[in-house]
Amino acid sequence: MNRFVLFFHKTGSPPWFYRFAGKLTPWLWAGFVVLSACGLYLGLFRSPPDYQQGESVRIMYLHVPAAWMSMMIFALMAVMGFIALVWRIRIMEVLTISSAPVGAAFTLIALITGSLWGRPTWGTYWVWDARLTSELVLLFLYIGVIALYNAYDEPRKAARAAALMAIVGAINLPIIHFSVLWWNTLHQGSSFSATGSSIHPSMLWPLLLMAGAFKFYYGANLLGRARLRLLKQDHRKRWVQELLAGESD
Amino acid sequence: MSHTPFILASYLITTAVLLWIALAPILSKRSLVRQLKGRQKHMDKRQ
Repeated sequence: MNRFVLFFHKTGSPPWFYRFAGKLTPWLWAGFVVLSACGLYLGLFRSPPDYQQGESVRIMYLHVPAAWMSMMIFALMAVMGFIALVWRIRIMEVLTISSAPVGAAFTLIALITGSLWGRPTWGTYWVWDARLTSELVLLFLYIGVIALYNAYDEPRKAARAAALMAIVGAINLPIIHFSVLWWNTLHQGSSFSATGSSIHPSMLWPLLLMAGAFKFYYGANLLGRARLRLLKQDHRKRWVQELLAGESD
Repeated sequence: MSHTPFILASYLITTAVLLWIALAPILSKRSLVRQLKGRQKHMDKRQ
């Protein structure tokens, strides 16, 4: 059997996934620590103030990567939810619902840091602008997915309902992305295009490093949450009892 | 207008949210493992 297909089949086994995720998680945390240390150093101490935004540009090194993560995680939830619904892979159900709190946290960070950047730059904390409103809708969608999951007693039924909501809710993602083009918004357009970026390298590097760091954070946190959920769901199964018996106090 | 309070607040709030989201599953797992081990010991004693 092809190695990739074999790996894909193995990930479907909860005990194998639990052990694999346990080995991978420390490396992901290490990646997060290294990248965020470099990103914060460059962003806070080495990058210059912006000619229009002044020092408040430093908020962008958190706001932009958090906003990217909020959209990326919801898109991943929709993809994993689709796989879970079509192929009935339980690990995918677990990964879909475990992503939701992390995605909600990044959306909250994007909204709060955006608001704190808006006060000195725009003169207001909040406007009912298309980009800001659609990002707020995304936060409500995350909360909706979590609430829907918790409304069911049976975890597999709950995960399927949450996966369906993630798929339907993904319609909001192109709305967020294109809102700055479709409507006349206060929020500026994207500084990235297919041809490259209009950001100076001294500001681009901390931004990209923080974006990388947040991806590692998501990976580590997702695997930790998925492992916890598997333990909760399978606590009566033999593999969990053997695992507990093997673990020291 | 000084930008420092806005920058500080952004970094502090982000740190607090990320810390909470990172620590919550670790603490829950510890408590779950303790609870499951306790239940297992109790069942072993009964047998």
